[in-house]
Amino acid sequence: MSSSKPLSRFHQPISVPGRRLLAGLPLAFVSKKVSGGGHKSVNHDIPLIPFIDFLLCIVLFLLASFSASGELPIDKSVRLPSADNVEDMTQAPMIAVAGQMILVDGIPAGTTRPVKEANRMQKLDELFNILKGRREVFKQINPGKDFHGIAVLQVDREVEAVVVKSVFQTAALAGYPNVSFMVKNRGGGKKRG
Amino acid sequence: MAGIDTGGGHGGKRSLNQEIPLIPFIDFLLCLVSFLLMTAVWTQMSRINADARVPGPPDPDKELEEQKKDLTLHVEMRGEEKFQLVWKEGNTVRDTIDVPRKQVRLNGEDFSYPDLSQKITEQWGTTGSHRADSDLKRDQAVLHTDNTTKFEDIIAVIDSIYAPQRTIKLGGAEETISAFNVTFAVD
Repeated sequence: MSSSKPLSRFHQPISVPGRRLLAGLPLAFVSKKVSGGGHKSVNHDIPLIPFIDFLLCIVLFLLASFSASGELPIDKSVRLPSADNVEDMTQAPMIAVAGQMILVDGIPAGTTRPVKEANRMQKLDELFNILKGRREVFKQINPGKDFHGIAVLQVDREVEAVVVKSVFQTAALAGYPNVSFMVKNRGGGKKRG
Repeated sequence: MAGIDTGGGHGGKRSLNQEIPLIPFIDFLLCLVSFLLMTAVWTQMSRINADARVPGPPDPDKELEEQKKDLTLHVEMRGEEKFQLVWKEGNTVRDTIDVPRKQVRLNGEDFSYPDLSQKITEQWGTTGSHRADSDLKRDQAVLHTDNTTKFEDIIAVIDSIYAPQRTIKLGGAEETISAFNVTFAVD
């Protein structure tokens, strides 16, 4: 490669621009076609104003249905039952019964094993202590404010009544007498606010 | 593309006409649409209420002995073949109605008891204590179930109990509420 012969223009990294095909042609046939050339013009204006109106409508609809709180956390192992005559969800401690585990807002709060072994309704001490603690924290943070006493139960559809009643009773004893069951809305009934 | 023409700019002054940058505006709107679509919550979870506060607070203006006890609807779901609706005033049974336990399958694994819903609605229409628009108190229903009943069955029955609905007037505005308030029996 040490020959004194210069490299061809195909091997040079940067070549001097040479003559180009059609460089001097006015391309009159193209301009004639584009401008119509006696036929209908192929130019089109995009109707931007209706497009912006449409986008604004979508934005307004999505903003109206926007929920800053996001989707409610549902344990994947929990299959919820569905109902027609339902109410809107509310902000409250979420007690989930998934398998044998009991969770309060994702934090373990005991198991359902003692209830199943005894096969009778009983107070669940660990759940009771956690709920009672939350109630006391609320009262300390909001002195003089009424405590709503709402708890939402997220229970699998196959769970037995003795477990449901035990969790219900424990929540009531811990100061949450207004217990709701989380369900899927079938939409057949009238949703109450 | 789009502009504001104020007609100024004559006599050597700077023109006041402005071009509105539509393309960045459309880009911004598209970004906003994308963000809102991605964060949209399409599944609607709801709740079905139960209340452990039974019975309601007594009237402070009357003596406890003088106060008439409300009729309470007890829904007995321990039978294999039928539900039993029992109207009680305190411990006194006023009426007992049997409803066949006919489960109607809906889509998938869901089901309901339409006969029970219909019968409870009829019963509340004739026997319910709190039906006036101005009456904010609800009739009380007590659910009796055995320990092995599945939760989906309990929800189907509570859903039927909530079928009768009525309107109440709250400060001039009308609101639809369920006629009953449900709780569990301790037995």
